[in-house]
Amino acid sequence: MPTASLSRWTMSYFAAALAFLLAAEALAVAGIGYPAAGLAEPATLVVVHLMAIGWLSLAMAGALLQFVPVLVSRPLAFPALALPALLSLVTGLLLLCGGFAVLAGWINAPLDLLPLAAAGLLVGFALIGLMLGATLFNVRPVTLFSRFILLGLACLAATVLSGAAFAALLAGRGGWLGAVALLPDGLPFHALLGFGGWLGLIAFGVSYKLFVMFMMAPEPPARRVLPVMLLAGLGLALASGGLVAPFAGFEPGTALVVAALGLLVLASGFYGRDMLALYRGRRRKALEINMLGSLPAFAALGLGIVLLPAAVAGGATDGLIAALVFLLALGWLGGLTLAQLVKIVSFMTWLETYAPRLGRGPAPRVGDLVAMPRTGWWFLSYYAGVAGGGAALAAGGATGFRWAMLFCLAGTAGIVAELARVRRLSEIKAADRPVAQERPRMLLARIDQRSPSHVDSRRIASPRA
Amino acid sequence: MGGKLERLVEIALRDVLDPEMGRSVVDLGLIYDIAATPEGQVGIVMTTTIRGCPLSGFLKEAVAAVAAGVDGVATVEVTLTYEPLWEPAMIAAE
Repeated sequence: MPTASLSRWTMSYFAAALAFLLAAEALAVAGIGYPAAGLAEPATLVVVHLMAIGWLSLAMAGALLQFVPVLVSRPLAFPALALPALLSLVTGLLLLCGGFAVLAGWINAPLDLLPLAAAGLLVGFALIGLMLGATLFNVRPVTLFSRFILLGLACLAATVLSGAAFAALLAGRGGWLGAVALLPDGLPFHALLGFGGWLGLIAFGVSYKLFVMFMMAPEPPARRVLPVMLLAGLGLALASGGLVAPFAGFEPGTALVVAALGLLVLASGFYGRDMLALYRGRRRKALEINMLGSLPAFAALGLGIVLLPAAVAGGATDGLIAALVFLLALGWLGGLTLAQLVKIVSFMTWLETYAPRLGRGPAPRVGDLVAMPRTGWWFLSYYAGVAGGGAALAAGGATGFRWAMLFCLAGTAGIVAELARVRRLSEIKAADRPVAQERPRMLLARIDQRSPSHVDSRRIASPRA
Repeated sequence: MGGKLERLVEIALRDVLDPEMGRSVVDLGLIYDIAATPEGQVGIVMTTTIRGCPLSGFLKEAVAAVAAGVDGVATVEVTLTYEPLWEPAMIAAE
């Protein structure tokens, strides 16, 4: 029977993602980007892309490389591409930030950095799409869960391709686009497809599966989940329409953004109902830190997604729209990702270290690897920063926003330190830790030593012989 | 799971704990069947909470090793099945 195992490079994806998150937060604390700069100015674009690609996309890709094979019970297709994809994405992102720095006048270099960056990001995301897509298509029939991921990957493709076109335009190499006005009209759709489709929709789909597992709740039937995917799919199709409309001579207006967002609100409503049902039907009564730490993320989703279309439709200020997008990106997606990283990292670390000891005497539980309640305090700092940052953006308080981001930065740094301690087994008594050379490595899973050769044999002779 | 040897194996399997919940594979309802011949040949049918569980190989091996340690057991054969699929309702009440 085919089984999934540990993804070798997932920890490296997480480490890179967290490094980019810390960098983005540090820039915000330093006052770089919105609200000190305009929403579409290069300084803001640096911070936004560090968050969207560096933090959220790398963390999402790393988690998917681990969990898609587990959830469809097939080995990852082309696993050797995981490292080239990571290197390509990191290089592409650094070049992109370099290109924006040229636009901002911070450094002197050719603007061709931008299309070069786009090429790196295209290659990296294409490799991710190839690994995940080929894994999902290996399983017939294609399940609803797989459709969530595939739809998210289609949104990723649209986001990356539109981003590449923007990069060409900004570098003055957009002549091939003719007189099509992609910028700035395409920006809201680019953001919608990236945050709402690639990151948001996949977060929806994955959380159905992971929360069933983490809370031991009954899996909701597909027909109950289907409206979430259909409504979100329709909203994201409208957003894609907004991107290609200029090619057909149409000028997509605010109405299209509002309609797409409205459908995402409905999808989020059904999703929220299902998450509540999972919570109520759980067999595991005590919530672990990954679930407790996700609760403020759900609150941020509820608040952000309901108010955003109203704000866009009502022609709200940049500040209010920025506050709501901030709430969705750092509160919902960022908070949820941080909280689940604690679980994923501790589970993978347990698997590497203690799985071979199963049934051979006492072993720590997965939850024992995480320092509590200290980890909870870091989450509190992070979410206090998100709440304060959102309020400061809405009120136009640039200094308040920087102070709030300091709380986010402190919380994130604390969580990163806790994750490193999980990898080092710091919470485990020295006697229960394996010898040094068998302990988990910080950035690389030990997939080679995870299972003795006789694991899959059907018949095992008595060990007493 | 009616015979004496089956019962002994089941008791032994209560030492195989799920690393998430800290409860045994028996309490979680992961052991579907235990059958033993008078010669001590034991067959165990078990499942995992999800089909692609990265732990399945280890769980299966642990169940086999623990069962093999029971007095009177000569050989153990562990079969993983997903028919029926495990569901949380199979967890024994605490």
